Amino acid sequence: MTAPTPEGRDFRRDEVIAGEYVLGVLSADDRRKVEARLASDRNFAAMVDRWQSNLSSFDDTYDLVVPPPRTFTAIERRLFETAQLEPAPSRRGLWNSLAVWRGLALVSLAAVAVMGASMAGLFKVPSTGTSLVAELAGKGSAIDLVAQFDRASGRLKVTPVAARQAEQKSLELWLINGSNPAISLGVLPQSGEGEIAVPSAFQSRISAGSVLAVSVEPLGGSPTGSATGPIIALGKARSH
Amino acid sequence: MIDEDIAGLLGRVSLGDREAFAELYRQTSPKLFGICLRILGNRGEAEEALQEIYVKIWQRAGRFSQGQAAAMSWLAAIARNQAIDLIRARKPAANVIDEAYDLADPAADPEKSAVVKAEGRRIDACMEELEKDRAEAVRRAYVEGLSYQELADNFAVPLNTMRTWLRRSLLKLRECMER
Repeated sequence: MTAPTPEGRDFRRDEVIAGEYVLGVLSADDRRKVEARLASDRNFAAMVDRWQSNLSSFDDTYDLVVPPPRTFTAIERRLFETAQLEPAPSRRGLWNSLAVWRGLALVSLAAVAVMGASMAGLFKVPSTGTSLVAELAGKGSAIDLVAQFDRASGRLKVTPVAARQAEQKSLELWLINGSNPAISLGVLPQSGEGEIAVPSAFQSRISAGSVLAVSVEPLGGSPTGSATGPIIALGKARSH
Repeated sequence: MIDEDIAGLLGRVSLGDREAFAELYRQTSPKLFGICLRILGNRGEAEEALQEIYVKIWQRAGRFSQGQAAAMSWLAAIARNQAIDLIRARKPAANVIDEAYDLADPAADPEKSAVVKAEGRRIDACMEELEKDRAEAVRRAYVEGLSYQELADNFAVPLNTMRTWLRRSLLKLRECMER
C-alpha cells in the first residue's frame, strides 16, 4: 500500500482498499495490513469509517436470531468468573489472574479534556460562576465520574469517585510493577477536586509497562495497606 | 431499539457496569448473532464467534465515540470483522493488496475525491445506479462475507472480472455519494 497523496491514483486506490476491507473480500493477510495502516494513517482510517457508515444500511438485511442462553453464561464466565471466585482477594491471586487482566476494560483514571466553546453550553449556569461540577452516575456502577469545568481555562477535568453506597467508600489507586506487591499511590479525592500527589519515592517507579489499578476501599483507604475491596479498573501505562 | 440507548449502555459498559453489559447483550445479541450465522453458516461457530465479539465489546466500549458512528453499526462492524476473520482463516483467500489495481474508468476528478467528506445516507440510491449484477455482488460481498473467488464462482465470471466489477463499483459509489 502506498501513502495517500492529495491527488490522483493512490487516493482512489486507497478508497478502493478501504471499501474492500469493509466489504470483507480481502484475505486474512491483507486485512492485517489494512488494520496496521488504520492505526497509523488517520486519513485512511477516515475512509474506512466512511465506508463503514455508508455500507451499514446493508445491516438491515441480517435476521434477528436470539442466541441460546448458554452463550451469555459463557461470556460472563470468561469475563468475570475468576474475579468472582476470589471475594476477599489475596493480592497475588488477583494480580496474577489472567481473567482479570484480560477482562477488565482499560479505564483512564483522570481524563482532562479541553472543551470547545460550543460545548461550554452543556453547563447551563449564570455567567457569574467560573467553575462548575457535574456528577455522572451509571446505574449499578461502582464509580461515578465527577466532571469539573473551569470556564476561565476552558478545561474539563473528569475524575472517578466511589459511587454513593450504603457506606461511604473511597477509590484507592495502586501501582504494580511486575510481580512486586502493589504500592498504594493514595486515595482519589471524593470531591473530584485535586489530583493525587505521588510520593516522591514512588515517582520513579511509574514507567511504561507499570500497571495502575483502582479498588473500592472503606472510606479513607485500605486499612491493611493492600487492596481489600474489588478491583474495578486496571490498565497498563504506555507512553503518551 | 434506539441508537441513543445503545450508546448510553456502551458508555456505562466502558465504566465496567455489568448490569449495563447484560442489558446491551439482551438488546443487541440477536442482531449480532444473525450476522455470525449468515457469514459463518454454522451454529456452533456462530456461538463461539459471539462470545469473542462480546468479550471485545466489553474491552473496547471505551473506544466508541458518539460523534463517529451510530452505536448499532459500530457493534455490527465488530461482529462482521470477527466473523470475516474466522471465515478467512478457515477458507483462505488470495492476497490482492500488493498487486496492481486496475482502476481505469469513471474518471473522477482527483482533486474532488481527495477530500474525505461526510455525506447522507444515499447508498441505496447510488446502488441503483450500478448495473444490477454488480450491485448484487457488492451487497452479497458485504452481507455474506464472500471472498473474491467465491463471488466469481457464484456469478460465474472469471476472478479478475469480479475484482474489476467490485473495485469500479466502489469508485462509482464513492463518486455518486459525493455528488
